[in-house]
Amino acid sequence: MTRVWDLPLRLFHWAMVVAVVVAAITGFLTPEWWLDLHSVAGYALGVLLAFRLVWGVFGSPYSRFRSFPLKLSDLHQHLISVLHRTPRIFVGHNPAGAWMIVVLLFLLVALVITGVLALGGRENLGPLAFVTVYQIGNISREVHEIAALGLLWAVAIHLLGVFVDTRIFKHPVLAVMMIGNKMSSDKRANGPDGTHTARGAVWFASITGLLIVVGVAMASVTPSGWRNIQTPADYVAECGDCHDAYHPSLRTAAAWRSVMNGLENHYGEDASLDEGTIADIRAYLVENHAGTFDTEVANRIGRIDTPSFRMTDVRRWKKQHRDINESVYRLKSVGSKVNCQGCHKDAESGRFDDDKIHLPSGDKS
Amino acid sequence: MSTFSIVSGRRLLIAAVFAACFVSGPAVAGMLQDTIARYTAEVTSADKGFTGFSAERGRMLFFSRPATGKPDTPSCTSCHSDSPVTVGQTRAGKEIAPMALSRTPDRYTESKKLAKWFRRNCKSVLGRVCTAMEKGDFLTFMATQ
Repeated sequence: MTRVWDLPLRLFHWAMVVAVVVAAITGFLTPEWWLDLHSVAGYALGVLLAFRLVWGVFGSPYSRFRSFPLKLSDLHQHLISVLHRTPRIFVGHNPAGAWMIVVLLFLLVALVITGVLALGGRENLGPLAFVTVYQIGNISREVHEIAALGLLWAVAIHLLGVFVDTRIFKHPVLAVMMIGNKMSSDKRANGPDGTHTARGAVWFASITGLLIVVGVAMASVTPSGWRNIQTPADYVAECGDCHDAYHPSLRTAAAWRSVMNGLENHYGEDASLDEGTIADIRAYLVENHAGTFDTEVANRIGRIDTPSFRMTDVRRWKKQHRDINESVYRLKSVGSKVNCQGCHKDAESGRFDDDKIHLPSGDKS
Repeated sequence: MSTFSIVSGRRLLIAAVFAACFVSGPAVAGMLQDTIARYTAEVTSADKGFTGFSAERGRMLFFSRPATGKPDTPSCTSCHSDSPVTVGQTRAGKEIAPMALSRTPDRYTESKKLAKWFRRNCKSVLGRVCTAMEKGDFLTFMATQ
């Protein structure tokens, strides 16, 4: 009897299963305002993976990457023997299993990195928000989506492998991943389980602590694409009386000038103001126009001019809101399409974070 | 000439105060009273037979549908709801506090704001500036609601 998988490794495995399931559900299935839970799952995965990589160097013998049978000739031979239904029994991973782990770990690390970049670049949130520009975030998100689909396939193949091992060859790999022991004469493995557990716990606690401290410190630096600006009282009083005090990053400087110079006919109403007030408000809007922010909304909607100056005429706006039933805009708490604050609870800050979207009740998502 | 205008100014003021007392119930207070007095003075200067503002004429103005202004705002009620005592909504979705003084006591306390909204909304609904008579009637109606 040999203890193949030490306790830290097994805990890692099952914790990761939970995190991946949560991340997959919140990534593939739920609407975008589940982003906060998706991020939590991602951070958890990041910590777990960092531990696994370290444990692959300092862990117990079968956890170490050096012990993985990764020679391609071994893999070839193993797959042939599986087809002939005469696979050799390996104490640790068999060659196919070892490659599977490498692929899975690679995809998961890629997912965590691209996820943090997407979060930082597109949402101005998380530890890399202070260095990641929108375009990088956007590209990262594309890669993130591809890697996520790749992971789905990899997990499917992984489960197929487990199925083949347990059902066809009667290797109880699932039980081994839970209990850790395997019948084997290989004496390479282990000291008593306790020492690995204690060392694993120390490593895990150190890695977690370090990542949390560094991560929180990095996340608290001002994001590269967004800054807090002081909204003049005039703007809130004069413009905010009839509609949201729209954030300046939602339109271009040219659009703001045109709007402020045509208040006598402002979308079908007279919204005239005295010259002094107009000048003050115009200065504020023009100074903080869409080009001075690197948020998702400034990039995709704010910087796009439309003949009407309406942001709801921007193609991207229409695309983003295509699933919103017209009846939602007529709800008392929303009132109209241009009342961003009706659903985007952080609209006045110009952030428009995914996880700040709250559709009013009585609506289909 | 200057003597005449002083005399006429004084006479107007007396008329204004008189008229203000005439229309004012206990609900009309302070700033709104002053404003109505000012409009009274303005109307009286043009129409010597003026006998005071009418809440009834104000009511008719509020509920009328002139449709001579901008197409999206044919009537006051387009945004201010069908009753002075209920909340309205701007076309952009913001809530508008009820127009009635009893429901929104601080509504008519700032003359600059009052002038701004009369200027804007008369243009939007009627397509022209409102007369002092219309403004006085309107405020009198709202003061009695």
